[in-house]
Amino acid sequence: MNNVLLVAAREFRQIAAMRSFWLTLLIIPLSMVIGGFTPMLIHSDEPSRVMIIDRTKDGGEARAIEERFELDANRDVLNDLSRYAQRHHLEGADPSAPWAQHDRWYSDADVTQFVAAGGADAAKAKIARVKAKDTPEFKPSKPDYAVVAVPALLASVPDANLGTALKPVLKPEGKDAKPVDYVILIPASFGQSPLVRLWANRQPSQQFVSTIQEVLTRDLRTRFLAAQGLSPAAAQNAASIAPALAISTPPPGGGAREALLIRSILPLFAAYMLMISLMLTGSWMLQGTVEERSNRLLETVLACVSPEELMYGKLLGTAGVGLFMIVVWVACGLFAAYATQGAIADFIRPALDPLTSPGIILAMIYFFIVGYVAIAILFLAIGAMCDSMRDAQGYLMPVLLLILLPISILMQAVLGGNSGGVLMEALTWVPIWTPFAVLARLGLGIPAWEVIGSGAVLLAFAAIEIVLLGRLFRASLLAQGQRPNLREVIARMRAVPS
Amino acid sequence: MSVLTLERVTKRFDRVLAVDDLSFGVAPGTVFGFLGGNGAGKTTSLRMVLDIIRPTSGKIEVLGRAPGRQNAPEIGFLPEERGLYRQMTALDTIAYFGRLKGMATADAKREGAALLDRFGLAANAKMTVDKLSKGMAQKVQLATALVNRPKLLILDEPFSGLDPVNQGLLEEEIRRISATGATVVFSTHVMQHAERLCDRLLLLAKGRKKFEGTLDEARAELPARLSVIAKQDPSKVAGVESATDRGEAEKGWRRWDVRLEQGVAPGDVLERCTAEQFPLRRFEQLHASLHDVFVHIVGAPEAAQ
Repeated sequence: MNNVLLVAAREFRQIAAMRSFWLTLLIIPLSMVIGGFTPMLIHSDEPSRVMIIDRTKDGGEARAIEERFELDANRDVLNDLSRYAQRHHLEGADPSAPWAQHDRWYSDADVTQFVAAGGADAAKAKIARVKAKDTPEFKPSKPDYAVVAVPALLASVPDANLGTALKPVLKPEGKDAKPVDYVILIPASFGQSPLVRLWANRQPSQQFVSTIQEVLTRDLRTRFLAAQGLSPAAAQNAASIAPALAISTPPPGGGAREALLIRSILPLFAAYMLMISLMLTGSWMLQGTVEERSNRLLETVLACVSPEELMYGKLLGTAGVGLFMIVVWVACGLFAAYATQGAIADFIRPALDPLTSPGIILAMIYFFIVGYVAIAILFLAIGAMCDSMRDAQGYLMPVLLLILLPISILMQAVLGGNSGGVLMEALTWVPIWTPFAVLARLGLGIPAWEVIGSGAVLLAFAAIEIVLLGRLFRASLLAQGQRPNLREVIARMRAVPS
Repeated sequence: MSVLTLERVTKRFDRVLAVDDLSFGVAPGTVFGFLGGNGAGKTTSLRMVLDIIRPTSGKIEVLGRAPGRQNAPEIGFLPEERGLYRQMTALDTIAYFGRLKGMATADAKREGAALLDRFGLAANAKMTVDKLSKGMAQKVQLATALVNRPKLLILDEPFSGLDPVNQGLLEEEIRRISATGATVVFSTHVMQHAERLCDRLLLLAKGRKKFEGTLDEARAELPARLSVIAKQDPSKVAGVESATDRGEAEKGWRRWDVRLEQGVAPGDVLERCTAEQFPLRRFEQLHASLHDVFVHIVGAPEAAQ
């Protein structure tokens, strides 16, 4: 045992001394940081600034657009609040409130009711009475648009000259000057003519254009119906007729799917980590074994340790490296959670839900470790047969493809919320894919008998591998000459050591 | 008691008989030479002693025990094919092998540092192997074999690939460790080293033992040769097999290369010459080289390998 630990410690040190090890160790946290900041860089959280120059008699169009912006902003808050209530089971705070009912698309009436009842502040006050201490505060998202007042200077500029006059508004000079993102001109003739002009300082968003179009269309229709002799109130109602959309999804449905996905984050993360650490440490282990062969130092080592001790030591050492990497990554995540003052922690907390079940924890650890051994030993056997990395590539590529291809399909399936497809079932029972399939499915729910059954199959597979690949490893260590063909490989596996 | 005993050991790889019914023993404190051409079975025999491979039949005893890693703390081994971990420092490499041989870390490091110092590499102890010159790396390899102060040092073709300076260093180390009472077994096909170092020799050809004994016993395998200056042809003296005339030495005296009959001692021939009043101006015994003995025993074609 001492020798196994000595070999393992040397393997660990050798890998830890490599620059590529530290680079890859840092790549994941770095990409997480970049991934976290990119949306902030690409998507500004600030509302788009909109200026509405309404030259109609009563200025009703500008008002209608502003009201619509406000309504949509409140709808977003209501949606956020609904998801928040569902995630933290807070419906009890006010069961009759729209945000406590998650089964429908919130209509204008719902939003109006929500605002009339005091909006987010009133809801927060009600929730505060029932929410648990560690439940995070509700933070509504910012509105998409902010309407800015029309400067007096522009008010008197004729329509035809507005284009020039608006240039400094859309693209102001000076560092601190805030540009206006959209300027809408509703000419005095709007109604008789449907023409409306829009200036934007970049490509206008689809959502913005649709909203403006909808508001103005409704107004044009009202005017038209009124012109046809309908009372203004009836015309207004006719223009705002819309279906009430009730949303039904099969059970567990709606936000539950979101909850399931969040529960899947940790097992999926484990599957992903298993894959990454296997690919990295596996190739380092392969490199190390090839180096021992090509450097001709195996005989010296084998005079002191048995081939079995060497094999177990290498497996243990590289598994240690893999585990170390994961510990560092998890520590980085925890640090980030701490550093962002709980913002990430709030997101992670529901993801840690599976950890409350000892069965899932045990299954994750079991499939991670046995899966690691079952696959890493393949790299070890390849290394023992090859004198150079070039030789090793010949075996490595097919093995990598075999392992990786189905996994990417598997991950996609889980992210799509599909846990029970035939493919998923099949992959669960093929030992080299079992650890990935089971880990990925743990969050979505997988029958206990499948976990136990596939776990037993995986263990049996790993045991057979250790025996057969152990023989191959032993027989290949001191073998000379060409890379063995399949026949020779099988012969070495069959050769029982005397 | 022998430090190393092989009894009727045979090793077969598929259809190749690498070692054939080999038996010998090595007494404590001796320097034992394992001689033979390429493919004679030397490396296979040594690997069996170290339990890197197992014999097909026969019995091996190392330090009174069966071969195995349990013997590693008392064995030093330098294989023919030598390599080191390129990214490890010289001292760490030696200490690592010391640890694999059961030494405590501190002892392995202390002994490693002492060896590097003795080999003139103290300043390079913290350098990684890939930055060392070939000659330096060879010294580090030797140190990995010596770090545990072995009772039995096994060297497989230790002189191959060494520069003359390191060859001298190795000879010195072999003498040094032998002087401490340790046993040294080394294989070689370079006879000069064996001639200079070995107390006993074993000649191997095609996996079979052809000779085992001291250097003198090995030489006795060849008929003795004399360089003689005489007036008459010495081939008539009893015990002389043949005499070749090598020309005039001085007026009236000729130079002769004399080959004695197998088993005849040169002293007996000298005595007969005196008794028979056979005039001599020179009577010099020529020592056969181990190379000649080797060629004589295993045959010229094999020796050429």
